[in-house]
Parts: sequence; structure tokens; C-alpha cells
Amino acid sequence: MRMTTIRRRRALTGLAFAAPFLMGFAIFIAYPIGASAFYSFTDFNLFQSPDWVGLQNYERLAQDSSFWKALANTFVLTATGVPLSIGIGIAGAHLLNLPVRGQPLFRALVYLPTIVPVVVGGYLWRWMLNSQYGFINYFLGLLGITGPGWLVQPEWTKPAIVLMTLWTVGGTMIIYLAALKDVPGELYEAAEIDGAGPFSRFLHITWPTISPVTLFQVIVNVIAWLQIFTQPYLLAQTRLNNASSGPGESMLTYAMYLFQNAFSFLKMGYASAMAWILFLLTLAVTLVILIGSRRWVHDGAR
Amino acid sequence: MTQVTRMRRPLVAALAGSAAIALALTGCTNSGSTGGPEEVTFSYLWSGAEADAIEQIIADYNASQSDVVVTGISSPDFQKQLTSMSSSNGSFDISDHFGNGVGSWAAKGILAPLDDYLAADGVDTSDFIPAALDQMTYDGKIYSLPIAVHSFQLLYNKTLLEEAGVAVPTTMNELAAAIATLTKQDADGTITQLGLGDPSPSTTLTTLGYNFGGDWDAGGEPSPTEPGNIAALQWYVDNIVDLVGPENLATFNSGNGEYMSAQDPFYVGRFAMVIDGEWRAANIPATAPDLDWGVTAIPYASTDLEDVTQLTASTLFIPANARHKEAAAKFLAYLVSDEGMTAFTKALGNLPSRTSLLDTDAFADIDQFDVWMDALKSPNVFALSSAPYSAEYSADLGTAFGDVILGSTTPQEAMQTVLDNSSNYATE
Repeated sequence: MRMTTIRRRRALTGLAFAAPFLMGFAIFIAYPIGASAFYSFTDFNLFQSPDWVGLQNYERLAQDSSFWKALANTFVLTATGVPLSIGIGIAGAHLLNLPVRGQPLFRALVYLPTIVPVVVGGYLWRWMLNSQYGFINYFLGLLGITGPGWLVQPEWTKPAIVLMTLWTVGGTMIIYLAALKDVPGELYEAAEIDGAGPFSRFLHITWPTISPVTLFQVIVNVIAWLQIFTQPYLLAQTRLNNASSGPGESMLTYAMYLFQNAFSFLKMGYASAMAWILFLLTLAVTLVILIGSRRWVHDGAR
Repeated sequence: MTQVTRMRRPLVAALAGSAAIALALTGCTNSGSTGGPEEVTFSYLWSGAEADAIEQIIADYNASQSDVVVTGISSPDFQKQLTSMSSSNGSFDISDHFGNGVGSWAAKGILAPLDDYLAADGVDTSDFIPAALDQMTYDGKIYSLPIAVHSFQLLYNKTLLEEAGVAVPTTMNELAAAIATLTKQDADGTITQLGLGDPSPSTTLTTLGYNFGGDWDAGGEPSPTEPGNIAALQWYVDNIVDLVGPENLATFNSGNGEYMSAQDPFYVGRFAMVIDGEWRAANIPATAPDLDWGVTAIPYASTDLEDVTQLTASTLFIPANARHKEAAAKFLAYLVSDEGMTAFTKALGNLPSRTSLLDTDAFADIDQFDVWMDALKSPNVFALSSAPYSAEYSADLGTAFGDVILGSTTPQEAMQTVLDNSSNYATE
């Protein structure tokens, strides 16, 4: 009897110590998530009490051309951005793993763009990508190539966003570098003795060994690209508080359209419905990746 | 001491700690009222030199009477302004916004209706320019007052026009011919000078819509496909976009310097002409003192459409959650009085919104300001409706105008898309 009392007290003490987090979680995370699910079935403008409209927001989204455009833009960006991030991350990590003088400096330089505030980087890139005076087109011109209108032609704005985002690929590279350091050296030695070339060594030793890291990177990158907001928002920004989406809505990503509906048009119910669709979509894509990963992720520990 | 009481102490301490944090986070404040003058907080979106001018006006007002003390706060953050109006206890009593946002906010119950206050403080609402007061009215009540208005006229670079032997255009056909003469391209198509630039496609094209007899809100609904609107867009495509090619135009415009800075494309001669507002008159002497410029009415498409201009307004409003509405209304009445409005509009280089102030000589020292002032006396002054759908409609029009300028769609198709989207707009 006495022992159960003590145990209960102990549990309560634990809960009391965890209370600051639990309260914060309940107020700032659990409640907003639940509330947004409710709001997604309402017409809500932030100031008046929400009106229940059932599935109307979801039905309207299905007929909203900007919604589909934003979804398509986001998929195109994700489908190009993720493989490029992973590919450049792995290739770059190999270069950073070479035994050359000054390697710590190179590693620092590659990582440097990651610590530049993204808004500062965004404004820099707006001028870098300027079709008339930008550095990118200047250097292309030196190679005899007439540079495109990066931010003014709809077909070039997505490459511009990918380019700007890949500028910070150093973070991915550094994680891959750590993974490469963990590949046992004796495996390479053995393979070399057996006559395996560099490509063969990568395919049969490096790739399988770092595949758990790749799985992590793919998931993290897919989620980040599906939610991409800041880069296109900065590149598409015009004067004042106007909702801008780049030429021909080509820079309108899912998160940007959600933001516009919520804060420019004050359609909180509509925006909540969008948030839940994105959440379910992200969940589905992540599950597909996780299930598919059984075929290619080599987990030695299991 | 048993083990139980020793256990209880950390439990109590942890609970107390959590409670303290929760209280600190809530941090409730309550300002009691005292017998002295009533305090009014004026949160405004202006900053920099304009904020300095407003602070001077506040100081003058505070010195002129003893009932109300106004404190000014420069807070150029739209989201912050909006969120602070969502609580039950407002953080400011009076603030400013834009004319076409009135309906959206009034419909949401964020704005306090002003009719009773204005009657009590003796503000003559019939003196305001009708197009401006229309924007302030929602459902028969006045929810904001225009502290300043803006009209749009054709500015031209005298030097460039004289060099090219071009006379100041008065009709749309003359304007088209002038644009063709004043636009210069290199052999490879690169534009070096554009006849008519547009600092903001949305403003230029909605204004041109009115100039061609169009209407963007016919019958109080979005009406992008009105024939005059389409005619204006088609005129723009024929005489500017097709003249140089959409890609050349986009590339040229991407190289423009910052608006109203010393690198502004009109100031450096990249644009020979622009359609823009009266704030240019105050800005040019300060930013581009060597520019030899002139301003005239926007050319007309037909004789019944002479002196057509678009009016936009800067507004003052009292939020529904303001704590000192009556005192704020007294300050509002001062700001729109002869003295307050003249000081305010002059300091900002904006136009007064009251017809009785349009003939004042208070603005005589701002070069060519009278052209924009006189434009407001025309019967052909139009303004976009301030309806709950305005923000979405503006965004869609902006996208559609962009598509037309890029040559990716025709004016008719672009405006039809906007019309189709409009069924999904907010209704309150």
C-alpha cells in the first residue's frame, strides 16, 4: 500500500517536472494542430467566429487553378531538387574527403553559405540572377552563352530557385562526409586487392554503407522541398505587401499559396485545409520512401 | 520526517515553478484611467522621414489642446497591425491603411464605424472627394477617412522628348506614336530606352482601363472582362509589348534600379515616360534634382474620356478594439481639418482629400504638383471598389497582367480566368 503511494508520488513528481514542456506542447503544438483540423471545415477569417461549411474548402481547392499550379510547381521543385541535393552532396563529400592540403579550409568554405541568413542570401541571389546585370549571366556570357531571364521567364524561375537552394548544399555534404569517414578502410583495401576500380568500390562498398544516411537525407530533403517557402517568396517578392507569385505563377509553391490565403486573403479555413492536405501528402510520400527503402538500404546492424 | 513529505517538496516546487512560468508568459497588463488627459496611441505604417513629419504633427496637436495626449509609434508591419486588432484589448487607438482594404476589414468587424463620432466632432463628410469617400463606406457606414489621396498622371522626360522631336501627347494615338519614337533598341534587340515604363503593372493597367472607359468593379462585383479593360490591355500589348517583344521587355525591366531611388529608371532616362502619382513631385527635387521633367493628363482614348484618372487613398481608421475611441476620433477630426490635413499631405507630398483644399496655395512650392491636384476636380475620377474580395482580386489581376505582359496569354483570356476565379473570393 505504502509502496504504491510512493510510486504514484514519484510519477506525479516526474509529471510536474515535465509540466513546462507538456503544457507548452499542449498549448503551442497539440492545440493548434487540432484547431487547424477543425478550421479546415469552416469559413474563418481570424476575426469572426468560424462558420461550419463541411467539405466546402476541400471542394473549392479541387477547382482552384492556383492550388493545382502551386502543387505542380512544388512537385517539380522536389523532383529536381532532392536528387540534385543528394548527388551533389555525395560527390562533394568525396572531394572533401580527399587527402589534400588545406582540406579543413575547403570544408569550412563549402559549409559557409549554410550559415548566411536565408533572407540575405535571397536578396544577393536576386541580383546574381538578374538577367541584365547579374553575375550568373555575366559568366555565362564569358563562355559565349546568352543567359536566360532567370526571374522573368516562367520556364527559368524554377532552375533559379533550385540553384539558390543548392547554394546551401554544404550541410548535406558535411553529413555525407561524416558517413564516408565511417566506411571501414579495410573493405576498400580488400576490394582493391581483388581488382575493383573506383566506380566498383563506390557501388559495392560506399553506397551500401552510407545508405542509411542517404535514407535520412532523402526524407529530410523531400520534406524540406515540399515545404519550400522562403527562397521562392524572396525571389518573387514585389513592392509592398502584395501577394506575388513570379511570372505566370511559376514561383508559386504550395507553402506560398497557403501563406497568401492565410495572411493576405485572411481565408484561414481554406489555408487550414491546404495545411492538412500537405501534411497527409508529406506523410504518404515519407511512408512510400520508407517502405521502398527496404530494397536499397543496407542496415548492417539489423 | 517520512519519505512521503520529503517527496512532496520537489513536487510542490515543480508545480510552483510551472505556475510561475505560465503567469510570466501570460503577463497581463491593465491600464487604469486617471483624471488627466486621455491617452491615444497612434500606430502608423510610415517610417523614416515621413514618420518624422507625422511626429511633428502629433507634437503640434498635443500642444494645441489639453484633453488628449497622442503618442505615435512607427510600426511598418502589416501583419503586426492586423494581429493586434484580433485581441479583445487593442494595442493602438488609431492607425492607417489603404483605401481598397476598407471593405474587407469593415466586413470582418475589425473597424469601428465612424459616423457618430464624425457628427459629434463636426467633420463635414460631404467635403471629401466622392470617389474617396465611396471607398471608405461599407454597408452605408463610414469606416475610415482618407487622410490623403493620390491621382495618376503622365510624367515625361523633357530632355528625351525634345531630343526626339516628340510633342507632349494628348490622345492615346499620339501616346502610341510617342512610345514608338522614344523606344530604342540595339541591333540584337536589347532595349536601351523604353517609351512608356511602368513602375507597377497593376496600377498602370488598372488606370489605363479607366482611361479606355472600363470599370473593374461594375455593379459592385469583379468585372475584369469589361470591354474598356480589355481595350486598354490590348492597347498596351499592341504598342509596348509587341513593339519590343515580351522577352526583351522582361529582361529590360529586370535591370531597373530601385523605385524612387537615384537609380529609378525614369530618373536615369531608361523610361522616357511613366504614369505615376503625385509623390513624384516631392521626390524628384530631392532624388533627381537634375531631371528636366513635365507632367500632363493621361492622354484620352476618346473625347468623352478626357481627364480620366484613378484615385487611391491613404486612410485613417479606429479599430473596433480600441480602448479610447472617442479621444482617437477627436485626433482624427484634427488630422482631417484644414490645418492637420494640409500639414500632413504637404509633409508627405500627397494630395489632400477634401475638395475645399484643392485650391489652396499651400502646395505652391512643390513644382508641378497642381497638375495632380487639378486632376481630382475632374468628374472622371475613378477608384477601385473596397470590397471584401479586394485583396484576392488584386492578386489575381496582378498575375493576369503579368501573363499578358509576358505574351503568354491574350487580354481576353487572362481577364476571363480572373472572372472565373472570382467565384471563389471571400464574401466577408
